[in-house]
Amino acid sequence: MSLKNILDIEELNKTHVLKIIESTGYFKEVLGRDLKKVPALRGKTIINIFYEPSTRTRTSFELAAKRLSADVINFSPSSSSMKKGETELDTIKTILEMKADLAVVRHKDSGFVKYISEHITIPVINAGDGRHAHPTQALLDLFTIYCHFKRMEKIKIAIVGDILNSRVARSDISLFKKMDLEVFTVSPSMLLPEDMSYFDTKNFECIDEIIGQCDVIYMLRMQFERQNKKFYPSVREYNRFFTLDFKRFNNMKEGAILMHPGPVNRGIEIDGRVLDMEDRNLAKIKIGEQVGNGVAVRMALLHYLLSQK
Amino acid sequence: MDINKEKHKKTNNLLILNGSIVNTEAKNTFKSDIVIENGVISRISKHITAGDFDKSIFKVIDASELIICPGFFDMHVHLREPGSEEEEDIKSGINSAIRGGITSLACMPNTSPVIDEPFLVEYLKMRSCANDYNIFPVAAITRNLEGKDIAEFGLLREAGAAAFSDDGRAVQNSKLMYEIMKYAAQMDVLLILHEEDYSFSEDGVVHEGYFSAAKGLEGISNLSEDIMIARDIILAKKTGARIHFTHLSSADSVNYIRLAKKEGIRVTCDVTPEHFYFNDEYIKDFNTNFKIKPPIRSEYDRKSIIEGIKDGTIDAIASDHAPHIDAEKNISFNEAAFGSIGLETLFKASITKLLKSEKIGLEKIIGLISAAPSEIMGAEKNNIKEGRQANMSIVDINCHEKYTKEMIFSKSKNSAFLNENLYGEVIYTIVNGCLRFINKIKSQGEDFS
Ligand SMILES: [Zn+2]
Ligand SMILES: [Zn+2]
Repeated sequence: MSLKNILDIEELNKTHVLKIIESTGYFKEVLGRDLKKVPALRGKTIINIFYEPSTRTRTSFELAAKRLSADVINFSPSSSSMKKGETELDTIKTILEMKADLAVVRHKDSGFVKYISEHITIPVINAGDGRHAHPTQALLDLFTIYCHFKRMEKIKIAIVGDILNSRVARSDISLFKKMDLEVFTVSPSMLLPEDMSYFDTKNFECIDEIIGQCDVIYMLRMQFERQNKKFYPSVREYNRFFTLDFKRFNNMKEGAILMHPGPVNRGIEIDGRVLDMEDRNLAKIKIGEQVGNGVAVRMALLHYLLSQK
Repeated sequence: MDINKEKHKKTNNLLILNGSIVNTEAKNTFKSDIVIENGVISRISKHITAGDFDKSIFKVIDASELIICPGFFDMHVHLREPGSEEEEDIKSGINSAIRGGITSLACMPNTSPVIDEPFLVEYLKMRSCANDYNIFPVAAITRNLEGKDIAEFGLLREAGAAAFSDDGRAVQNSKLMYEIMKYAAQMDVLLILHEEDYSFSEDGVVHEGYFSAAKGLEGISNLSEDIMIARDIILAKKTGARIHFTHLSSADSVNYIRLAKKEGIRVTCDVTPEHFYFNDEYIKDFNTNFKIKPPIRSEYDRKSIIEGIKDGTIDAIASDHAPHIDAEKNISFNEAAFGSIGLETLFKASITKLLKSEKIGLEKIIGLISAAPSEIMGAEKNNIKEGRQANMSIVDINCHEKYTKEMIFSKSKNSAFLNENLYGEVIYTIVNGCLRFINKIKSQGEDFS
C-alpha cells in the first residue's frame, strides 16, 4: 500500500488515489481557515530541485510545505553550467549532503526524476519530467472535478490540444481512465502520438463535435517550447477548430466546467473574453480553483510520504 | 618469429577429442577428432589415438559434450581506437571478441580521427597483425563521415579496407548516394549501410510506438529506416553496387529486402542480437542500456526479424559492439549515448533466442555468425577443413546462467543483456592456429599454461 515516491500515475492504484483525494479535501479545509498552518511536518526539510524554471509549480510546492510547517530549500541547478555526465550525479550528492527529508524534482527530460530517485534514499515527488509525467497536476485536476461533481465515474471529459508533447495530458488521461472517467481527445494529427493505443481514447478533429456532450472541457496549453518542429499550420487554423471562444463557451453542456493547467495563452487555447468572465462564472470556469487545489493536493502528498513509517 | 613459435608451442599443437563438429555448408554436425599441428588442421578423423601423440608437444582437449564451430566473424564492431581508448582499444576489444568465440571482426571507421585515410587503414592492419588477430578495417564512405565528399575508395582498398561504411551516420543526399554506388560498383567494393533518415529520427531516443507514447520519450519512426532501405535498393538496382544493410530493425525493411532479393538485386543484411531478442517494452524503466540505434522496436518488428532469419532474408548476425563509459550511460535517458556492447553475447544471445526459443537449427545459427559474414566481407569462408589454419570456437550450448557485469572482458559494461539468463558458453577459442582462450571455470579446471 505505502508509496515511497510519487513519480508517475501508473504506480498509483485506485485506493491510493481515493486516499489522496480524501486527504486533499481535509487540507483544502485547512487552507480555508484563518490560521492556514498546521504543524504536521515541523522539523522536516523539503528540497525543491527545479532544473527547468517554473514559478507556478515551485511556489505551489513551497507554499504547501510551509503550510505544513516544513522548511524549504529551493535549488535550481543551472543547465547552462552543467557539463555532460558527472554533474547530474554531483547534484545528487549535493542533495544527499543537505540532508533533506524529501525532494521535489522537475527536469526537461522524460525519466530524469526516476533516475534521481534511484540514486537517493529520500522520497521524491515528480514535479514534471519532460513529456513524461506530471502526477501532482493530474491529481489536482481530478480533485477539482470531484469537488464539483461529487463523483468521478462516467464523467465525460474532452482533453483538447497538444496531446503529443504534454506531460499533463499523459498523466491526466492515465489517471482519469484509472478512475473510470470517460476520456476523449480533441487534437490535430500532428499533435497526437503515432501510436494512440496507450491512451486508447476516441479522438475528434474539432471541438464542436463534442462540446455539447462533455461534463469537463480541459484545454491544454499549446506547448510551443516543446514543439521543436512546428507542423501545425497557424494560430488562425487552431482558432477555427480548437480555441474555446465565446460561442463554444455558450455551447457547453449545462453544468459543465472549463479547466486549464495554466498559464493560458489568451486567444490560442481560450478566448480572452471568456477568461475575463471567470469572476462571474466561478461554477463554470475552474482555472483559478485549480491553482488553489494544487496547494492542497501537494500538502496531502507531502504529508502522505513523510508521515508514514 | 622463432620467439613466437616457442611461445605458441603448446598452443598451436592440439588434439581435440570426441567433439561434435558443425559443418555450416552441409548443415550437419558430426562427431570427430581434430589434430592441429603448428596451427594448421592436419587431420579430421574419428580414429585418432591420443597415445600416438607426444604429450609434451600436444595439448589434449576433451571436447565430448562440446560443439566445435568455425570461428565466429563479427562484421560490425566499434573498437574505439584511435581516439576513445577509455571505452575500448584494439587489445581489449580483441580480448572481448575472443571471450565471445569471435576469431575475426570488421571494425567501423567512426573513430577519432575517422578512418578515411589510407595510413589509418594501414595502422589498423598493423595493430591487427601485432595482436595476431583478424581485423578487417572498414573505411569511411564519405570524408570525416560528413556525407559530402566521397572517400578515396581505390587507395583505401589498396591499403587494406575490407568494406566501406559511414556507420553512425547515413548519407542523406540521394544524388550523392547514387554517385557513391556507381563508384562502389566500378571499384567492386562493399558498402555497409546504416540506414537512417534524419528527418524522422532527429531528437528521437526510442522506437516510436506504444512505449514512446506512454513514457513521453521522443520516438524514431520505422520510416526512418524503411525510406532509406527502399531508396538504396532502388539505387543498387540502378548501379549494380554491392550493398549490405546493417542492424536492421523494422518489419517493412525486412520485407523490402526480401522483395529485392527475389528481383536479383545484390543486397545482403544483418541484424544484431538486441533487435531479435528484445522489444521496446524493455525501455519502460528508462534503462539506458536499451538505448541503441536503430532503436529496439515493437514485438511485431522483432517477430518479423525472426521470420527473416528463418526464411533466409537475413544473411548474418553482427553485434554492433558499441562500448561506452559509465558516465555516458549512467545519466538521464535523453542524455545517454546510444549503443550496447555485444562481442561477448553474440553467440550466447543467438543460442538463447534462436536455438532454444525459436528452434532454429544449430548449423544455420552458427552459419549466420561465421561462414555468412566472412563470405559477405570477401574473406576466406570460415569453416573447418583439413589443410586450413585453425580458427574455431569450442562451445557448450546447454549450460546457462545469469549474465552479470563481472563476466565482461570488454572495458565497457553497457550490455543490454545484463541480468538475462543466457544459454551457451564459449569454452575454447582458437585464433589463427593458436589457443587464445580457455574458460577456466567451464573447462573443469584443465591445467594449461
Ligand atoms: Zn549503425
Ligand atoms: Zn555501429
